[in-house]
Amino acid sequence: MTVNKTAVRVVFALLALTYVLTHFVGHAHAQSSLGIGASEATLPSTGLLAGFFNWVNAQQQSFYRALSGAMRAMRDGGGGAWLLVGLSFAYGVFHAAGPGHGKAVISSYMLANEVALRRGILLSFVSAALQGVSAIVLMGAVFLVLRGSSVSMTDATRFLEIASYVLVTAFGAWLLWKKAAPALRRLLVGSPVHSLSAAHVHAHHHDHGHHHHDHDHDHHHHEHGEACGCGHAHAPDPKLISGERFDWRTAWAAIVAVGLRPCTGALIVLSFAFLNGLWVAGVLSVAAMSIGTAITVSALAVMAVTAKNWAVALAGDGRAGNRVHAAIEIAGAAFVFLLGVALLSASLSV
Amino acid sequence: MHALTAAALAGILMPATPASAHPHVFAEASLEIVVDSAGNVEALRHLWRFDDLFSSTVLIEFDTNSDLELDTAELETVGAVIHESLAEFGYFQFVTIDGRDVEMQAPERIIADFQDSQLIILFESRPAKPLKLGGTAGFGVYDPTFYTAIDFYDDASLTVSGMPSGCTRAVVRPDPDEAIAMNQQSLTDAFFDDPSGNDLTKIFATRLELTCKG
Repeated sequence: MTVNKTAVRVVFALLALTYVLTHFVGHAHAQSSLGIGASEATLPSTGLLAGFFNWVNAQQQSFYRALSGAMRAMRDGGGGAWLLVGLSFAYGVFHAAGPGHGKAVISSYMLANEVALRRGILLSFVSAALQGVSAIVLMGAVFLVLRGSSVSMTDATRFLEIASYVLVTAFGAWLLWKKAAPALRRLLVGSPVHSLSAAHVHAHHHDHGHHHHDHDHDHHHHEHGEACGCGHAHAPDPKLISGERFDWRTAWAAIVAVGLRPCTGALIVLSFAFLNGLWVAGVLSVAAMSIGTAITVSALAVMAVTAKNWAVALAGDGRAGNRVHAAIEIAGAAFVFLLGVALLSASLSV
Repeated sequence: MHALTAAALAGILMPATPASAHPHVFAEASLEIVVDSAGNVEALRHLWRFDDLFSSTVLIEFDTNSDLELDTAELETVGAVIHESLAEFGYFQFVTIDGRDVEMQAPERIIADFQDSQLIILFESRPAKPLKLGGTAGFGVYDPTFYTAIDFYDDASLTVSGMPSGCTRAVVRPDPDEAIAMNQQSLTDAFFDDPSGNDLTKIFATRLELTCKG
């Protein structure tokens, strides 16, 4: 089984281009049109999946409206804390299915690295939780400390947003360097493509097409030995040990880059809750949103990795498989980097 | 096999594209179109009432003296900030004659008020040149960035004072799917001409149509 290399390259180039362009376009107005609050506003859907996105959007809006209704009811003395939590959860699920850099960074990071699915899911949950905490801390600070000072909530959000995009860019640049530099060196020096592990090729003989979850553990890089839970590390490579710590560091970089910028919906809900003394309800609502978001981001990240495994499996063993593998990893790293650059430039150009 | 790979990858990457609208602010609009005795549009008078949740963020953000109320000076700041920001977006309003855009003047100021924990803003905008009603004139509001879901909740929120006798009025609420289908080509062109997309979202907006003979 071989795959035409040119075809694979063209597909990746097009996907990368579409992805970056749409992200750039979508975030062209990072500052909100009203000048109050931070926008995550985007274009209406006209593409291939227009119907799906319009549906997601309609769901998200109706949950948001129901959520505001539930908060108003609580303010007016009605109960309904559980209703609020349920609606917040649903809002989180649909919110994350829409546009946003969180899932893009996490998915691309998982494409660029061998990350065990279980860990990828953990990553999604931790970053979503951090996003929730960031919203609560920011709103708490604004409400208790910053109110009346010259630092507005819009300023504070903007600061976190820029910080988050700077981190995404730096993280992407680093990831790209890690992934593309060896390939570039091979290209320039002209030595054979052989850096991808023998374990990777080996794994396909065992696992081909059976369970994709284990699959993921199998064709790993030497530098990410921890992701391999199946004893397929062939050589006692000293890199394995340092690789593990390294991997956690990059994972945290991804988490912080994603989690730093709180979501606007959470901020709005919290400001209303705090203003009306619904402290617990506000925090619970944001926690439920985070869990909902984490579930969607996990699902997308799992899809990304599964698709990568399919692509590599379809490309077969040996050189073609290695090339596809390397191409996906480099593309993933490039996405993170370009996404960071696009978001940052859009954010700063306002 | 290539197609399969491509499809699988497209499947992962597409959901990350920002294809859906994403409003966080809801506003109920009302609009009064003032027509003089000669049949010229004199002014558009806008009143927008924002939802409680967004209004509470405005309260927190602009409450500089920390009394949990917006006094006159604080409300003036709110009006000034919105006035400045909306300039870039044509004050969310559109006026067309037979489909062509009519240039409007910037409002002198935006008045902000706070009633029943809701932010209300008011402003008046006049046509840049004398605007005689004739053919089909369309009037409406929309946020080109989709940050604000602004709409007329009720047909009666669109009024005309001094309606000329030869004109009929109709409130048009485009169905999003139909609007996309009808405008597929122009949407595609508009996307490539103007990727910031400032004019696309208009096709979804509720509008008042005044059709006048002569």
